[in-house]
Amino acid sequence: MAIGLTHYLGLAAAVFLVGMVGFVIRRNTIVMLMCVELMLAAANLTFAAFSRELGNEAGHVFVLMNFAVAAAEVAIGLAILVEIYRRRRSVDADELTTLME
Amino acid sequence: METFLFFFGGAVLLSGGIAVVASRSAVNAACWLVFAFLGAAGLFAALHAPFLAVLQVLVYAGAVMVLFLFVIMMLEGPVMPGESRRPRPRLWLPLLAIAPAVVIAVVASRALRTAAPAGFDTVLPDGFGQPLRVSWLLLQDYVFAFQMIAILLLVAMVGALALGRSERKRPWQ
Repeated sequence: MAIGLTHYLGLAAAVFLVGMVGFVIRRNTIVMLMCVELMLAAANLTFAAFSRELGNEAGHVFVLMNFAVAAAEVAIGLAILVEIYRRRRSVDADELTTLME
Repeated sequence: METFLFFFGGAVLLSGGIAVVASRSAVNAACWLVFAFLGAAGLFAALHAPFLAVLQVLVYAGAVMVLFLFVIMMLEGPVMPGESRRPRPRLWLPLLAIAPAVVIAVVASRALRTAAPAGFDTVLPDGFGQPLRVSWLLLQDYVFAFQMIAILLLVAMVGALALGRSERKRPWQ
């Protein structure tokens, strides 16, 4: 059985979906950040698969950019979470509703 | 070999992702995320991207996960009691996720029905995806993107430092 672009795209869609479902149903903001990481990993997989299909390494460069974006996102996101925890003693998304009310 | 790597890495990535979403404690979720990212590294290897596979392990399974675990341990310790206390009140929220799931399933089944999925038929040049070729591209054609990465990381570092300072030391307060 030959593995082609379609298989990779299907897998990436499934992983993205898992991340999205997790982001929606979990309340712990740290786990929500992890789900965002999963979605980014799915996007990276798509880039690499198209790179392989087209025989062009430009996709690899953009995966590298995505790595940097994900690292920056985690650093800032966790710093914000630590600051929120200092003030509210909680990182539960359902309790952080000050802006909503 | 590539077929094996696809199925092995894909199973690891997908099951790890599901375990991240399903696990009760945040520490377990972080460990499953490492597992999932190792699977993603295997998939990169199957796609002839060895440089990306190594970076995936170094950056994600290494640096990012250390950061996650550090913050989890610092905040609440290994057990996060908040989430198991009561069920989520808004049960309609998963419906938001079901709608795109249906769309993706329909599109995927269409794609599979119209054309039998074929293997990759592109002949790759020598050393495809190796650090030499990728870095050549990175420093020639995409040097602007490279500079943007550098600026992004610098700004993120400054922002994280500013957020991490204790309140009375902040110059703007």
